[in-house]
Amino acid sequence: MAGSNEVNLNESKMVVPLNTWVLISNFKLAYNLLRRPDGTFNRHLAEFLDRKVPANAKPVDSVFSFDVVLDRSTGLYIRIYRLAHGEEPQLNIADLEKPVTAEVVPVIVFFHGGSFAHSSANSAIYDALCRRLVGICKAVVVSVNYRRAPENRYPCAYDDGWAALKWVSSRSWLQSKDSKVHIYLAGDSSGGNIVHHVALRAVESDIEVLGNILLNPMFGGLERTESETRLDGKYFVTTRDRDWYWRAYLPEGEDRDHPACNPFGPKGKNLEGIKFPKSLVVVASLDLIQDWQLAYAKGLEKAGQVVKLLYLEQATIGFYLLPNNNHFYTVMDEINNFVCSDC
Amino acid sequence: MSPYDSATSAGSSSGSSYASSSTTKPADIDGLLAGAGYKVRSSDLRHVAQRLERLETAMVNSPVELSQLASSDTVHYNPSDIASWVDSLLSEFNHTPSLPSDLPDLPDIVVGPGINPTVKIEGDATWMDHDAPHQQQQQQQQNVQSLTIPPNQLTVVAMEEDSGIRLVHLLMTCAESMQRGEFSLAGSLIEDMQSLLRRVNTTCGIGKVAGYFIDALSRRIFTPQASGLFGGSVSGSASAYENELLYHHFYEACPYLKFAHFTANQAILEAFDGHDCVHVIDFNLMHGLQWPALIQALALRPGGPPLLRLTGIGPPSPDGRDSLREIGLRLAELARSVNVRFAFRGVEAQRLEDVKPWMLQVNSKEAVAVNSILQLHRLLGSDPNRSPPIEIVLGWIRQLNPKIMTVIEHEANHNQPGFMDRFTESLYYYSTMFDSLEACTLQPEKALAEIYIQREICNVVSCEGSARFERHEPLAKWKSRLGQAGFRPLHLGSNAFKQASMLLTLFSAEGYCVEENEGCLTLGWHSRPLISASAWQAAPDANSPLGIVNHHHNNHNAL
Repeated sequence: MAGSNEVNLNESKMVVPLNTWVLISNFKLAYNLLRRPDGTFNRHLAEFLDRKVPANAKPVDSVFSFDVVLDRSTGLYIRIYRLAHGEEPQLNIADLEKPVTAEVVPVIVFFHGGSFAHSSANSAIYDALCRRLVGICKAVVVSVNYRRAPENRYPCAYDDGWAALKWVSSRSWLQSKDSKVHIYLAGDSSGGNIVHHVALRAVESDIEVLGNILLNPMFGGLERTESETRLDGKYFVTTRDRDWYWRAYLPEGEDRDHPACNPFGPKGKNLEGIKFPKSLVVVASLDLIQDWQLAYAKGLEKAGQVVKLLYLEQATIGFYLLPNNNHFYTVMDEINNFVCSDC
Repeated sequence: MSPYDSATSAGSSSGSSYASSSTTKPADIDGLLAGAGYKVRSSDLRHVAQRLERLETAMVNSPVELSQLASSDTVHYNPSDIASWVDSLLSEFNHTPSLPSDLPDLPDIVVGPGINPTVKIEGDATWMDHDAPHQQQQQQQQNVQSLTIPPNQLTVVAMEEDSGIRLVHLLMTCAESMQRGEFSLAGSLIEDMQSLLRRVNTTCGIGKVAGYFIDALSRRIFTPQASGLFGGSVSGSASAYENELLYHHFYEACPYLKFAHFTANQAILEAFDGHDCVHVIDFNLMHGLQWPALIQALALRPGGPPLLRLTGIGPPSPDGRDSLREIGLRLAELARSVNVRFAFRGVEAQRLEDVKPWMLQVNSKEAVAVNSILQLHRLLGSDPNRSPPIEIVLGWIRQLNPKIMTVIEHEANHNQPGFMDRFTESLYYYSTMFDSLEACTLQPEKALAEIYIQREICNVVSCEGSARFERHEPLAKWKSRLGQAGFRPLHLGSNAFKQASMLLTLFSAEGYCVEENEGCLTLGWHSRPLISASAWQAAPDANSPLGIVNHHHNNHNAL
């Protein structure tokens, strides 16, 4: 079995910049310490190790942020990122929810990654990513601090995502000139998975989601696919750790063909004829779960939904965390076009 | 890499004085990793990567040791410093630290299909140096302001009502007009706000905290440099007694002070390990709430308790009561009951800067812990005619060469020169703190805790000059200040973090969170840190003149 006692570190080194390699390897090794074989998670150590940043109402590179608690009992909060306009040196609380001024402002509800168990909305890597998204897309970004596994299994993350979506759609200050909030859902890894399932809930409501953006989304299934075998352990990720996270998120006793994990699998929902948002699906060619991600895109296509697939050669997981590679800029451009095509 | 050495440079000094500019980018730190919360020098990246590889190999080859490592007993420190974190884990695997030349025993580069073979690991060709178009630019432009300029941290809790927002708007406008000296406008705005208050729920949320800020603003206009209760200069006996009472209730109503005591005690206990004579100097004794737990922990110490001396500093009690001594007696009784040899000494001082080191009677054989809970910021007020009190005090502390100095401070930026800035910051800060108090149901603790907080608000907002002693500065500034004064950090680790988190789960409402910040811990409400705890010791530099550190001697050209 590839990667059992032999450590294949060498391949990942050749395809990412050095600082990216250090960043992702550091996560990988830290995460190894957090996942216990019995399925429990060392949450205290995880929170200790996670690098967090506070919200900042003072604009940095024209972007400021503030947090809003949506549910005290669960700790559900969102971090809102906006562009500062003009020469406001000091923003006061009343300014934070000042109505957006442009004709059309995309509002991107963002779900951070972490395989359902790691990271938070205030994790430094995701705070940085959201700030970059605001700058590039001139959007408002709302990052959701959803509850994580294994303490909070399916469907908690989806419930929290749905709560955030409802809140966002009901803010008058987020409405564009047409008195509607132009909402897009975006997420990476587990966040991409959440995007799909929250969009599904929105379909049955009167909340319109204009588009889904899935970056290296986390999907899976019972079957072991070719990419999982071929790439196991080669680029920061192993099938064993993927399996662990699904066991931690899915209801106890359920397997990976559960529709949360495998939306187009044997227990999946038929999306034909449903008004599902258009999707941008980004797949990294060195991500071991790419077969599932490609199957997802195919599933949407077969159901007659609008989907654009962006397959990035020689990209690994986490390529979008640092703006030091071409893929980052390619993807940011694509996202920008995706959310502005309605402008 | 020394623990607090954030500015390094290879070149010689340009002759400029050490500039602690708030937009200084520490030379050579990888900007993108810094944005992700990690401090790694660009020149060290390769070395760190090799260490990571080593660690992974060790983890894969020794699964038993891995599970031990993953157990709760291993203590982790300062995750931002990847190099030292990896090395500390590697030492758990009993590998000796090795030079890169040791690495050839790892497998050579595996040649995959279509991938060109590269040279051996020691060479530079191991990692692809991507020629990403924007990489250079990004590295330079990477904004590190957020590292050094304290952010305006804001967590808003459901500001739904319009009148709440209007109130805030009026508060800001009023503060602005005061900054411009338009006092009649400010006065009329205060009247507007007071009438608006009548229509707003003032029992909780924005209404409650707004009420206190309106009050503070009106004191600023109508009774500037208010004496008595809120001013620093006049302090009658009732005042000191009241202060202690309010402090005690603030301690009970919410976990901030408990966290402070708990975290400091843990660090002090560890610092005192192996010492038979120990001396704690408490900069603000109050009711001595911190010390029973330490006394008990020392009593249970393996090998037996040390001789414990406690010196408690506090304001004089003019009515003839010796309140310091009373507290000392109570603590002595507790110590006696658990067989800890104990001696207490009270030092009366109206202000901390009035304390002289000889009053503390430190002897050379004892291990000293200096404990400062929300005291150092009071020394930041400066009189152009005198040396800054903070420098004087930090100077003599350093001379004492304590085993540890524990510093707990508000995580807030309430000492900025501009009134508007201070006002806005404190409005954000105290809104959050009041919100956290909502969960408390104990009375009269909650009501008195609110008055305690209200006094702080008044001092920040309505006082100036020597009367304003609530000069809170954020952790980042304290780190810099203490570093310059010749101290280096003693990192608080994952064990302290875990215990603090567990304490909170047991005793407090949902919503409090502990965070690790480069060797220090903060406690906050939801995502907003409100109080910080750090530990320090004198940096080894015996030749330095009083209070000035020489560590940055060669780093004057920090850009």
